[in-house]
Amino acid sequence: MTRYILRRLISIPLLLLGIVSIAFFISHTTQGDPLISIIGDRQMDNPDAVAAAKARWGLDKGLPEQYVIYLKNLVTGDLGTSFRTKQPVARDLLVRLPATLELVIAAMLVGSIAGIVLGVIAARFRDTMIDHIARLAALMGSSTPVFWSGLILLYIFSVVLGWLPGPGRFDARAVAPETVTGFLTIDSLLAGDFTAFGQAIYHLLLPAAVLGWTVMGIVSRLVRASMLDVLSQDYIVAARARGAGELRVLLNHALRNALVPTLTILGFTFAYLITGAVLTETIFAWPGIGSYAVDATRNLDYPAIIGVTIIGGSAFLISNLLTDIAYAFADPRIRLS
Amino acid sequence: MKPALNRQLPSWTHLRLAAALCVGVSALAMLPEGASAQDSTLVIARDIDINSLDPSRAWCDTCQIYMSNVYETLIGLDKDNKTLKPRLATKWEANADQSKFTFTLDPGAKFADGTPVEAKDVKWSMERLENIKGGASYMMDSVKSIDAKDAHTVVVTLSGPNSEFLNILTAPYTGVVNSKVASANGAIAAPGADTADKAESWFMQHSAGSGAYELVDYKPGEELRFKANPHYDRTKVGVADIVIKQTKDSVTQAQQLESGNVDVAMQIDPDTAKTIQADTVSVETIPSYNFLYVALSPGAKDGGKLLTKEVREAIGLALDYDGIIDFTVGGAGRKIASPIPNGFPGTDGLTLPQQNLEKAKELMKKAGHAEGFELNDAFPNMNVYGVDMSLLNQKIQQDLAKINIKVKLTPIEFSVWRDRVKSEGIALTTLFFAPDYYGSAQYVQYFGMIEGSPWWNRAGGKRDASFTNPQTETVLTKALSASEAQKDGIYKQLAQQMIDDRIIIPVVSPDLVLAHGKNITGVRYSACCNLMMDEIGRQ
Repeated sequence: MTRYILRRLISIPLLLLGIVSIAFFISHTTQGDPLISIIGDRQMDNPDAVAAAKARWGLDKGLPEQYVIYLKNLVTGDLGTSFRTKQPVARDLLVRLPATLELVIAAMLVGSIAGIVLGVIAARFRDTMIDHIARLAALMGSSTPVFWSGLILLYIFSVVLGWLPGPGRFDARAVAPETVTGFLTIDSLLAGDFTAFGQAIYHLLLPAAVLGWTVMGIVSRLVRASMLDVLSQDYIVAARARGAGELRVLLNHALRNALVPTLTILGFTFAYLITGAVLTETIFAWPGIGSYAVDATRNLDYPAIIGVTIIGGSAFLISNLLTDIAYAFADPRIRLS
Repeated sequence: MKPALNRQLPSWTHLRLAAALCVGVSALAMLPEGASAQDSTLVIARDIDINSLDPSRAWCDTCQIYMSNVYETLIGLDKDNKTLKPRLATKWEANADQSKFTFTLDPGAKFADGTPVEAKDVKWSMERLENIKGGASYMMDSVKSIDAKDAHTVVVTLSGPNSEFLNILTAPYTGVVNSKVASANGAIAAPGADTADKAESWFMQHSAGSGAYELVDYKPGEELRFKANPHYDRTKVGVADIVIKQTKDSVTQAQQLESGNVDVAMQIDPDTAKTIQADTVSVETIPSYNFLYVALSPGAKDGGKLLTKEVREAIGLALDYDGIIDFTVGGAGRKIASPIPNGFPGTDGLTLPQQNLEKAKELMKKAGHAEGFELNDAFPNMNVYGVDMSLLNQKIQQDLAKINIKVKLTPIEFSVWRDRVKSEGIALTTLFFAPDYYGSAQYVQYFGMIEGSPWWNRAGGKRDASFTNPQTETVLTKALSASEAQKDGIYKQLAQQMIDDRIIIPVVSPDLVLAHGKNITGVRYSACCNLMMDEIGRQ
């Protein structure tokens, strides 16, 4: 298995090179002019201003030359400077990644736990009212657009009931704890500021629930289907015949085996949400990678677009590898080679 | 028999459940009860569109607010949005032909670090604005030289008369920067600054102005935080700490205002404003100087040739202006006669446009297009000043169908639109404009059929010189050397010329919604500066 993991690790940089190259050429050949977000519409008719901006951002060079320069810089860890934020893209991503990870981890926790519980219950009470209700909840979660559920839940819980805060990671009137990890929950604990920790959790609840609901929908249906399959196996009948309690049968015998296919989905969902939580981040003004990607795309911010692509690509490649490894641990019959 | 789920629970499961319960209860106990934080901070909801916080490179609506409040200009604009008032310059005088201006600086003005604002800073800031070649550098196009006569006297010589130069100096982009601090951080004002200057990254996190506020922190996509400048004493600042919070859309801004999470919401559209019910919120709808317009480019490669002057006039007459205002902003907007907004010099007495389908059809027939034709309409797919551009163009499509022009709508990203309008032109499109300062010359220089003007280029002036209106340049030169008393009449001629050119057809000037908590005072719309934060207070 070690050789397998090493081989996969070695292939990651090569795959990333391919991803970077495709992203570079697609973004640079897309119709549109990024200079408009740098010098504004009015100055686009001023040849001096256009020439100056092109020279400053290296856009006056030919595409192959720009590509070679980009790769050379990339090797040293320089992802370029964002046209929009005027900061190094690597720094922007480091600032925004913890916000996304904090949201995605919370959503994955909420979604996967709720999804597994719901899936197990639905399978256990197959074709009963409980199963139908669980199916409805799952379908609503996986089919309701986040931009709709987000706005509705925001309206109900923040505006009408006033139970939860509005968009943002932290109360705008409060002072956030000093940034150490970028995870507000962790940073507030490190600072020993439990009020700030409460604030961070308070602001995390609604976006995590909205995003987690989608995850829950997918997971619960998958767990239900797997559980039904597993529960019909001989070894489950044997376990019950030996007098094992129902909870033990469900959790120890059935769920462990039913979770194997779910691992794949969880791995890919996590990777997808790193860059795919765009709508949730936009609605909840969550300053993460998703909203950064949207801004970058709208402004044709080439360095930022490629930077986000590298993060998204890496997330998929790594989660894919980790999922394969987790498979081997979860099911001893699977051998990685 | 269905087995009970709680049968044979092992003891460790009880322990885990108990531990989880404790964690949950502890977390709930730590949840804040509403606004437990510093209530003194004023929160403004806005979709932040910053392209730069470098005073010489900034060019956006939020940049306008930032610049107005962090950097002081020599001259300010009074609350009537017309009268010039002293700011850094306590007095100024112009020579007879308005080509040379002498400014006397306020000796008490200080930057946020406590150092005095001097003539050398004014000279440095203006030169840097010109040499950086950023979004607003065109404002310095007419400047020939700047001399710092002494610490508090600046003389600006122009390459020709410009009666609007003082108005230009109210534009926030002409704000004065602490040259010593900026230079120490890589800023350069001399020629060549466009590539040699390295200060933009520094400016994104620091400010060096003498305005009412200084920058505390800028987190792109999240917030822009200010604190009061302790050395500012031109007015009494009402709120010490202000944060502009990223809030994307109108509905969310309204919700946040109603729930008390924000104090001011800047981009609520008139339709959403009607839904606000909270009695803690004040909503006022006022006329603005912003407008949206249809632009016709006879030199465009995709069907521009069809747009003869008669056809352009027919299009202008086919549009249902009142219907457009109802359809796009629920009636909360105004008609506008020319590409100079109502209330600016030269607009009094102009005839507002009116739909006249009979005359429009007659003109189409005269032009040999009684059966009509197809026309491409590519427009930026965005929401501007509360107007959904898609809705606006759908209405235009409906109106033009009545004179048999079949409009094909193509919504595109703004950067793509800009690329296309520059390279091959777009026969029919829609766009928007907001003033940079109070003055009409900016509109003529932008929309007039003067060689080299942005819309002369886009309409196809380079390909066909017949689009040039030679009178416009002559009259504009006259306007720029006119006295205050003469200005109105001359700009009226220019406005009429632009109406007759039928290249730019303004369709709606949307009203502006001022929405804020009832305990908030001093929120107003400034024609130069958008929002003056030092005037805002809390009851």
